[in-house]
Amino acid sequence: MKLPISLTVNGERVEALVEPRLHLADFLREHLRLTATHLGCEHGVCGACTVLVDGAPARACILLAVAADGADIRTLEGLADDPRMAVIKESFHQKHGLQCGFCTPGMLITTLDLLARKPAPDAAEIRAGISGNLCRCTGYQGIVRSIQHAAAALEQAEEA
Amino acid sequence: MNAAAAADPNTGQGVGAPVLRNEDRRFLDGKGEYLADIQLPGLLEVAFLRSPLAHARIRGIAIPEAHRGRVFLASDIAFAQPISAVGAAPGFKASDYPALAVEKVRFVGEMIAICLAPTRAEAEDIAQSIQVDFEELPPLWDMDVALAPDAPRVHEHWADNVVVETRIAVGDLAAAERDAAITVHRTLAMGRHAGVSLEGRGVIAHHDRRMDELVVYSSTQFPHVIRTILARALGLAESKLRVVAPDVGGGFGIKNNFNPEELAVAALALKLGKPLRWVEDRREHLVASPHAREHRYDLTAYADARGRLLGLKARVRVDAGAYSVWPWTAAMEAGMSAGIMTGPYDIPVYDGTAVTVCTNKSPLGPYRGVGRTGAAFAIETLIDAVARAAGREPADVRIENMVAPDAMPYRSVTGKLYDSGDYPECARRAVAAIDLAAVRARQGRGEPDGRLIGFGMASYTEQSAHGTAEWVARGLPVVFGYEPALARFTPDGKLILHVGIQNHGQGLETTLAQVAHQELGIPVADVVVRHGDSSLSPYGMGTFASRSMTMAGGAVSLACARMAEKIRRIGAHLLQAPREAVRLAGGQVWFGEQFVSFAQIADAAYLHPERLPEGEDPALEESAVYQPGRSTGAFSYATHACTLAVDPGTGLIEILDYVVCHDCGTMVNPLLVEAQVVGGVAQGLGTALFEEIPYDENGQPLASTFLDYMIPGACEVPDVRVLHMETPSPHTRFGIKGMGEGGAISPPAAVVNALNDALRRRGVELACTPVTPLRVREALAAAPRAKTEVVA
Amino acid sequence: MKPAPFAFHRPASLADALACLATGEARPLAGGQSLVPMLNLRLTPVDALVELRGVPELAGATETPDGAVYGALLTHAAFEDGQVPDVTRGLMRHVAGGIAYRAVRNRGTIGGALALADPAADWLTTVVALDAEIGIAGAAGTRWVRAEDFVLGPYFTVLEPTELLTAVRVRRLPQTTRWGVCKVAVKVGEYAETLVVALIDPARGESRVVLGALDGAPLLLPATAAAAGAGTAKAALEQTVAVELAGSDRDFTPADLLLHATAVTRAIAEARS
Ligand SMILES: Cc1cc2nc3c(=O)[nH]c(=O)nc-3n(C[C@H](O)[C@H](O)[C@H](O)COP(=O)(O)OP(=O)(O)OC[C@H]3O[C@@H](n4cnc5c(N)ncnc54)[C@H](O)[C@@H]3O)c2cc1C
Ligand code: FES
Ligand code: FES
Repeated sequence: MKLPISLTVNGERVEALVEPRLHLADFLREHLRLTATHLGCEHGVCGACTVLVDGAPARACILLAVAADGADIRTLEGLADDPRMAVIKESFHQKHGLQCGFCTPGMLITTLDLLARKPAPDAAEIRAGISGNLCRCTGYQGIVRSIQHAAAALEQAEEA
Repeated sequence: MNAAAAADPNTGQGVGAPVLRNEDRRFLDGKGEYLADIQLPGLLEVAFLRSPLAHARIRGIAIPEAHRGRVFLASDIAFAQPISAVGAAPGFKASDYPALAVEKVRFVGEMIAICLAPTRAEAEDIAQSIQVDFEELPPLWDMDVALAPDAPRVHEHWADNVVVETRIAVGDLAAAERDAAITVHRTLAMGRHAGVSLEGRGVIAHHDRRMDELVVYSSTQFPHVIRTILARALGLAESKLRVVAPDVGGGFGIKNNFNPEELAVAALALKLGKPLRWVEDRREHLVASPHAREHRYDLTAYADARGRLLGLKARVRVDAGAYSVWPWTAAMEAGMSAGIMTGPYDIPVYDGTAVTVCTNKSPLGPYRGVGRTGAAFAIETLIDAVARAAGREPADVRIENMVAPDAMPYRSVTGKLYDSGDYPECARRAVAAIDLAAVRARQGRGEPDGRLIGFGMASYTEQSAHGTAEWVARGLPVVFGYEPALARFTPDGKLILHVGIQNHGQGLETTLAQVAHQELGIPVADVVVRHGDSSLSPYGMGTFASRSMTMAGGAVSLACARMAEKIRRIGAHLLQAPREAVRLAGGQVWFGEQFVSFAQIADAAYLHPERLPEGEDPALEESAVYQPGRSTGAFSYATHACTLAVDPGTGLIEILDYVVCHDCGTMVNPLLVEAQVVGGVAQGLGTALFEEIPYDENGQPLASTFLDYMIPGACEVPDVRVLHMETPSPHTRFGIKGMGEGGAISPPAAVVNALNDALRRRGVELACTPVTPLRVREALAAAPRAKTEVVA
Repeated sequence: MKPAPFAFHRPASLADALACLATGEARPLAGGQSLVPMLNLRLTPVDALVELRGVPELAGATETPDGAVYGALLTHAAFEDGQVPDVTRGLMRHVAGGIAYRAVRNRGTIGGALALADPAADWLTTVVALDAEIGIAGAAGTRWVRAEDFVLGPYFTVLEPTELLTAVRVRRLPQTTRWGVCKVAVKVGEYAETLVVALIDPARGESRVVLGALDGAPLLLPATAAAAGAGTAKAALEQTVAVELAGSDRDFTPADLLLHATAVTRAIAEARS
């Protein structure tokens, strides 16, 4: 039996009737056509589906849509106007932090959270911070450099 | 032309420039469009019923009444021809790989039925409800089991389970054996693993009414070739089939086969006239996507007292699983490994046998590095063993055995023609960067935390961008000899390159634009690269075998060079200047201080032919097909060197330092080259340390989720230091050599060498991949000294 | 990889939640970080889920003079970020930060981890080492069970399908107690291959060493703990560990023994340092 849910997605109120078994990632992708949230494993390991739930990163593949009732969800699409995300994206471009791009939305959201909690992480802290986001292409080096670059750029922006 | 010299000093965007990628924007905005992102009205989702058994006869299939009409079996798509990849080697045993199992299943994960529903969840419900009556057959779960004399056969009509055995024997091995002061024998095993692109495979098929064609989207590395084979398998004219590879989230070889899922979904969509979509999930990927590696080696090296190799005897056995993948055939892994076994070394005598074994496992397919990762693992661990026997530093023994630069071009004992390079210098630079002397000193001191330090290195030479001659020699159903490019300006002066390769992370939308810039002086941002669509680009072979930059780069260069001539003619005419006096830069044609823009030229070419010089054809469009000057391949090479620390109490390994010195000829974009190397190393470290899909005695794969199958995360991959050498290939445009795969070739050998160096004093040597902490502990626990020792 | 269908209940009180579970056919859903992967993989058939999120009795933490009571719904991240009172001198905070990855810690709960009783779960070994008590609510009210009696084996506890784990009661660690943790995982963020929590208190003569991530319930090592508490020197301590592990009722391979003995020694060394 379908259940009603009501939540905020990227700042907009969304009401829907969903099967309890539907996970949030499929709700975003298939129902709302927000396809920046990728699925790389659907069992909570790879991090490709990472979104912000009430401001904190979560795996959308192992969060049921019905369990996200009332939550405030933000996907990469909904961070298009976020000034900090703009800096992070530009850093990923500058430091070649992506290849095929499949892990990228999850990486970007994890980075946004990491740098909010730890504004000046060292390389080891960055690696630990993104250890829950798998990338098969880059070997992570470009990603680590991108995050270092973003941390410095954000710090500069803050000072200015 | 040399790379650095070729880079345009004005804009720094040509060949050799570290240009940032054109394609980044859409991915950073979450606007890439991967297969699962595509929606079509009325789309039905596919779930496959896959075999839970390794080897069984199908006696019956019971479909619940409620689901009739939503479940389809082999008999429903009987018109679809099975996949058949037949090698040309004498004695090759062919097998039919059906889209859906007929009568018998041969591996866990083989497809039995297609289930359709509006959502994937419902399609899975249907698949779960189907009852299959199996008659179990003895599973051939290991190559030794399959090779036993009385073993049942995977394919009944075969005499045994050997797909093919080939041999290369050159020189007098008996003499080498007689003359040898050192004889070293080793047996090695590389584990079977998965490719694990982060995006799985996937297929969408629907009928386009207006074009009256079947449109098949596939997350594939070679859409044009898929169209050809799919048309044949479905009995369609190729003109009635369009194959599109949308954005592809990693390939690495696993998306470089014609897979039964493509055939099944396309066939059923054709039959039903309904749009269908199958998106591979991770479990399907791990269990049923083509697997990688699983080699076993039996090796004997004959050397003089200083470790100079006199001869090599090698027996390579590969567990290729149940079927031959198209077009590579089951024999590719073993054949390539045995064929490149001597690597960068000058070994005069060789006797190599390659045996491909058929078992009840998922078919083995190409994976980054293909047979060469195994070959390097074999020869490189063997050389270390020779050096130990000679009581010498492995680095020295290695370098002394290498093909000298003045021997180039060099024909190897297996008949490969190495085109250029300085292998010993490459190795020396890697060793110097690691500072081997310091590592040895550190080893002498011991670590305060009780860990053991080891140094290891491994070198390879990699045939890349091989064309017609090599593929003909391998006897494949398709000869991947060339690449096309169509360069077309739009009337507003932007350039669109239509190419037959497929970009899935390599940065080809940027590097091919750099080649265009090199020829035309057009800003890279003004170039669009179109690929991955059989209707949008000329017929090409796709992206694999480290070929795209060399091949498509050559084609783009040729087409754009022709285009440049035409633009010069038109530009000179518009500027009323002599043709020889104009130059192209910044998207403009210059005569002294005067210029006309490409937009003006395109405007004239398309919309105002009256402004063109007399006799000049309107339009701005050129096409070209490129084949390298020699099709025997441009050989990239590298030495990887690393130090690691192994914790004897836990078996955990930490890579402390990792250096790659490599030479891929002229680098089009060093930024992207370095990233490809590093990404390859990370995958190679996965092979070396983590990744494995063991099978139990029932033929059940023991890793089917990311909980039991681990790929390296950010903490498991070190910072890799990449040193570049640049010896242009004499055979290719700009001197480019292929480099996409190389990073993944050496890590298993380098890591295992380093591990064995670290454990030497414990009397322990490992000879397998992956060297998991458990395997290290088992080896240590079995060694006499370690029994009661606890390391704090 | 999608779950089979199930019903979903959203109770707003403990009584409601227990009523939903009364048939024994429904399963509680806390953070979902273990349960939903299993559902996606269709590894566990469930008829109905009972979402605990709205049950106020399971939320929050209360500090008392002799310790704290942690509600089942507290996330690993709440411990990691110090949002709850700390009565273990940083031990629980440290353990929480080593579980999985941040995105998982943001939703995974201590109650869910303990109820599941994956032998490799970090909390399981930790609460046994802390000699904590587990609160269990059922039709007959709430009972408290010592952690070492709570867990019976891998994925096997005294919890009935009709009951809920409500809270964990942890005694305040004395100033004299020092702790050490050794978690060995193949990869950062992964489940432990071995996990040892050591609490050493020579002053009070009370030490506990617990070895987890085994095939069965966490293993208490009293002889090792006593030796560690008595300040036994390294070599002799190693000997004690080896003897105690070998003499346990568990089936250790030589490779296991090497690993676990290493972890025990290291956790003790950390506690003593
Ligand atoms: C990628 C990944 C890595 C992980 N790594 C680790 C790790 O290193 N260490 C570790 O310890 N854990 C790890 N976990 C598991 C994680 O800690 C989970 O959060 C935890 O095990 C379960 O908590 P949950 O709240 O998500 O429970 P759920 O998944 O909601 O539930 C788990 C089980 O407990 C039952 N249950 C939940 N709450 C109650 C209750 N109050 N009363 C009765 N029954 C209840 C459920 O019915 C279910 O059977 C990992 C998880 C993932 C996805
Ligand atoms: S898809 Fe959600 S963690 Fe992998
Ligand atoms: S860029 Fe391809 S998975 Fe990260």
